[in-house]
Amino acid sequence: MNRRHLLSVLPALALAAPLRAAEEPIRLRELYEKDLSFSDIALDAEGRRIPIWGFMAPPLKADSVFFVLTNRPMAVCPFCEPGMPWPDDILAVYAKRIVDVVPFNVPIVVEGVLELGDYVDPELGFYSKVRLADATFRRV
Amino acid sequence: MKHILLATSALVAVAGASMAQDLPQAGTEWFTDAEAALAARLETQPITARAKNVILFTADGNGVGTNYAIRLFSGQLEGGLGDDYVQPQETLPYSALVKTYSSNGQTPDSAPTAMAMNSGVKGKNGMINVMDTVAVGDCAAGAEAGTKTFAEIASEMGKSVGVISTARITHATPAAVYARTVNRDWEDNSLLPEGCTQKDIADQLIDQMKAGVIDIALGGGRQHFLPTETTDVEGKAGKRTDGRDLTAEATEAGAQVVFGDEDFAALTMGDNAPVLGLFEASHMKYEYDRTGEPSLAEMTEATINALSSNEEGYYISIEAGRVDHANHEGNLYRVLTDGKAFADAIAKAMELTNPEETLIIVTADHEHAIAFNGYCGRGSKINGLCMGENEQGTEHTGEPNLGDDGKPYTVVNYLNGAGAVVTEQADGTWSGSRPDLTEEEATDPDYVQQALIPLSSETHSGEDVAVFARGPWAHLFRGVIEQNEIFHVMNYAVHAE
Ligand SMILES: [Zn+2]
Repeated sequence: MNRRHLLSVLPALALAAPLRAAEEPIRLRELYEKDLSFSDIALDAEGRRIPIWGFMAPPLKADSVFFVLTNRPMAVCPFCEPGMPWPDDILAVYAKRIVDVVPFNVPIVVEGVLELGDYVDPELGFYSKVRLADATFRRV
Repeated sequence: MKHILLATSALVAVAGASMAQDLPQAGTEWFTDAEAALAARLETQPITARAKNVILFTADGNGVGTNYAIRLFSGQLEGGLGDDYVQPQETLPYSALVKTYSSNGQTPDSAPTAMAMNSGVKGKNGMINVMDTVAVGDCAAGAEAGTKTFAEIASEMGKSVGVISTARITHATPAAVYARTVNRDWEDNSLLPEGCTQKDIADQLIDQMKAGVIDIALGGGRQHFLPTETTDVEGKAGKRTDGRDLTAEATEAGAQVVFGDEDFAALTMGDNAPVLGLFEASHMKYEYDRTGEPSLAEMTEATINALSSNEEGYYISIEAGRVDHANHEGNLYRVLTDGKAFADAIAKAMELTNPEETLIIVTADHEHAIAFNGYCGRGSKINGLCMGENEQGTEHTGEPNLGDDGKPYTVVNYLNGAGAVVTEQADGTWSGSRPDLTEEEATDPDYVQQALIPLSSETHSGEDVAVFARGPWAHLFRGVIEQNEIFHVMNYAVHAE
């Protein structure tokens, strides 16, 4: 958000970025159409390294390279429990390194290789339709 | 909707009064609109016939503040400034403020509030239709302390009963129409403690359908009706650990069971076969995200049309269950879009029913920790920034008001929740400052409003809600009432001589 502002104020600086020009992160929701099929943005970016803006859901497991990226902070409602479902529009992230947990309501940008298609994590049994592999992330 | 058609006698009487006073403001639209409203009120006669039908609308978590936000949103959707907009429920002739606290909670949850409306007594947080002498979770004591519900009373009178929710059909508000449980979380058998003889909520729904109490049940919550070994039409696994497929049992018992908008549209309604519609594994989608599921208005229309064939009448409980969930997320946008869908369902029910025989009640179970800033000029987007007042005219200046920190702020904030500006830092300490904010960011459908106290989920509040009503004995709603009085008005209305 501040970043977008900065880019518009200082286009020269952005253009001067070395080699890998910082790509504007997309929102997680841009990967899906309303009926939850993949968007053109997702299909175009498949196999490519892209940055995505979102939130880290509270990890399912400690000391793991795996976490779930959500479109909005994954609020856990005590009165909606049990059975609070994962939203449909989520993304599984496989990080390069063991994840340093970021609170569920702090926005992050994750950069990784976009993978599309059904996949069940052999260890966690977690089913995903979209993943970012070999990922790094930072607070924004 | 702002201009009300008038019976001339009342209008003449009202206009006569002010004309005699020769007030300089008498020609303005404010003045004549108010006179028209007064004239309409003078014409309103209480209806004292027995109510054939009762429809109870509840938007979960839609207190006076949330309802206000939805009013402005709906008005602004139509291109207006928002504040002068009138929602369908706000055209109903009678209203009251409702005290929502529970037996043991200054702040209630949806279980005892729904019990208050369906059984006529307050209960403890977390329990449904079990009297408050029992401790939460006490199976044995709970079995001896259940209430008789309004649905059961109506059914004994020969009426049909429908229950609709955009939450899971086993969630607290709809469950209070047909179930008794010492723990609202026992939606399927998997969480029932060992040795507990109480049936889970999904099981109780099927029992009530077999018993002829519940004729139509529409909502989410497929997972509670299916065993863990079975996946539903969307590939999601059931949660029952007793191996039972309650959807199959319902079908065997003669019910029509549907799972999506297409088979829902193809239902043969009104042939007396019970209908069970389960449109999601868990809650139905927010209106903004809805795909493949009927809308609340569509479910309302189909149910009224089907149950109208019963000459003894019907009771229908209709819940917009996810206004509450979006409030919990701090995501005002989905509160507003689900609130508009609620109003659309009410408009549909008003269109399909006759006030001479149908009591329509519109209320909420509780409010949230939602709060409103000032001083915003008119037309400030209810989901946007609080803009400056325009001293030269009516609509805001387009310049956001700034806090003392030099940053703009939205019209709506929450007192707590995920949007807290204080966040946990990498070193485990808590600190933060308000992020800067543009109108574009604030009005994004996924925006989470800034909040004060950090909590993983924004909370309910104990603040009053409103009740609006029309039809037989609706005039019994006035002043400030206890929530359980809603049952008593319904019960009186269907029995009145
Ligand atoms: Zn709630």
